[in-house]
Amino acid sequence: MTSKMNVFLSWVIDALLGAYLAACLVFVILPAFFETDVVSGTVAPWLVATVAAVFLVASVTNRASLGRLFLTGTFADSPGARTITQHLGWCTLVFSVLAGWIVTDVSISEFFSGEGLAGAGRIFGALVTPSTDIVGEALYAMVVTIFTALLATLASIPIAFVLAFLAASNIMTASPAERLVYSVVRALLNITRSMEPIIWAIIFSVWVGIGPFAGMLALVVHTIASLTKLYSEQIENIADGPIEAIEATGASRLQVLWYAVVPQCVLPYLSFTVYRWDINVRMATIIGFVGGGGIGTLLTQYQGLAKYHEVGTLVIIITAVVWLLDVISARIRSVLK
Amino acid sequence: MIALPMTPLLELQNITHTYPNGFRALNNISLSITAGEFIVVIGLSGSGKSTLMRTMNRLIEPSAGVVRFNGTDVTHVQGDGLRKHRAQIGMIFQHFNLIDRHSVLNNVLYGALGSMSSAAGIMGRFTQEQRTRALDLLRRVGIESKADNRADALSGGQKQRVAIARALMQNPRLVLADEPVASLDPATAHSVMDHLEAINKELGTTIVCNLHFLSLVRRYATRVIALRGGELVFTGGPDQITDEWFKAIYGDDAEVVE
Repeated sequence: MTSKMNVFLSWVIDALLGAYLAACLVFVILPAFFETDVVSGTVAPWLVATVAAVFLVASVTNRASLGRLFLTGTFADSPGARTITQHLGWCTLVFSVLAGWIVTDVSISEFFSGEGLAGAGRIFGALVTPSTDIVGEALYAMVVTIFTALLATLASIPIAFVLAFLAASNIMTASPAERLVYSVVRALLNITRSMEPIIWAIIFSVWVGIGPFAGMLALVVHTIASLTKLYSEQIENIADGPIEAIEATGASRLQVLWYAVVPQCVLPYLSFTVYRWDINVRMATIIGFVGGGGIGTLLTQYQGLAKYHEVGTLVIIITAVVWLLDVISARIRSVLK
Repeated sequence: MIALPMTPLLELQNITHTYPNGFRALNNISLSITAGEFIVVIGLSGSGKSTLMRTMNRLIEPSAGVVRFNGTDVTHVQGDGLRKHRAQIGMIFQHFNLIDRHSVLNNVLYGALGSMSSAAGIMGRFTQEQRTRALDLLRRVGIESKADNRADALSGGQKQRVAIARALMQNPRLVLADEPVASLDPATAHSVMDHLEAINKELGTTIVCNLHFLSLVRRYATRVIALRGGELVFTGGPDQITDEWFKAIYGDDAEVVE
């Protein structure tokens, strides 16, 4: 990053910060406190723009700049810049907390209202007196969820195994073409991983219909991206010595990967994969809420019908299984070390 | 005896190497190695010894100059040509660089990868002949009984002997040894050096070895090469290394440690 680019970026950040602070004040904080529009609708945008402009000028003339602090870790040059910048930082925090409190409708009175507490009592009461009628159905759904997660994890392993080599910076060094493949694979993985499995589940429940298969596909996509990242980081951490030694025998690229890289990765891979399966069981439950099948789907159904004793049964089973898997997976991983 | 015009086994001509970070590790080095020599390269850490060695088996492609092996220009060979070139040169390392989780026998067999197709190598289709030869080589270095052990269960000296067997598995014309005894205790160091000497004398394999200890240099070398700051500053017999020369190579403050 060139310093010129940094300077320009810091201006942009400061102008946006000014606009953000003014907008918080004008559109959220003041209306909440005064119940009426203190600043009329026509003036408000101009006010925001003016404050942004003031921040921009302060930044350009190097008097105070949070953007510069953010990008380079240094304060602006003018005397007092440090103090002003610190005050601006505190202002940003206070405004954000206030605005956040207001937009989330935080209400202490509702939290402690008699009616509310009575409702909470009913639900908690139902949860601790679970219905035994649906235990069979619930256990079956739990098994479906566990197997959905298992299958998704297993299906992802071979694909992630191959992709990991393409996403490892110490492997993809031979030519500019390889660097390009590395960058493209990395970018695609980052995008895929940024999309939550629940979004993929919505997509696949339209594609293949609601049910465990949609849930599995959603998990596969996300698991490939996650495992590839973990696997490739493992490849990047291996010792170079064995690679050099196998290269020196005149071995081909593929032979070097197979004999010098893979043996160093197998155990960590197994450990990552078991952990991923554990995560996938939890994710499969959540995915069930949007049509991924298994115990999550069952939970939304009973919750929709307000059958809280049944919901209690499901919650207990989910909690027990998640806890048990956590213990088992931790145990397996410690053995694999 | 009639002096025949012999092709040197390995010839470096004006080799210069600059790393991508701008560090010039080798500066205009020319060197000719005759078959049967036991060459020891000395010099401080960072003087270019390891880089020099890696231009010989083309783990490194030099920035400038020519590398000739057995009369063939191999400076810029790629692909199969590069594999073929590397397969003729064995290499052993300070940290042994075995595949820890695999058996000792398999580690020796991996020396044959250079002569196998990619697929055959990956599927581990080593021939009975190769297995017999690998066992013979393990016997030669005295650890045949450990053939089925995992490589990481061995001691340092044993690991280095496995590495020697792996290098010999290549049937090499030349063996490069990059500080082969720097991680070993003195007694083990001598045993490893003795194995290299035996290979040199009995099999006629040429050896190029980076070393730090002057006592070992005097004991094993037929010719000594010294590097300082990437330049060749001395080449001659081991008996020619006087204390003055030593100071010239290692700096004025250096003391000889035997």
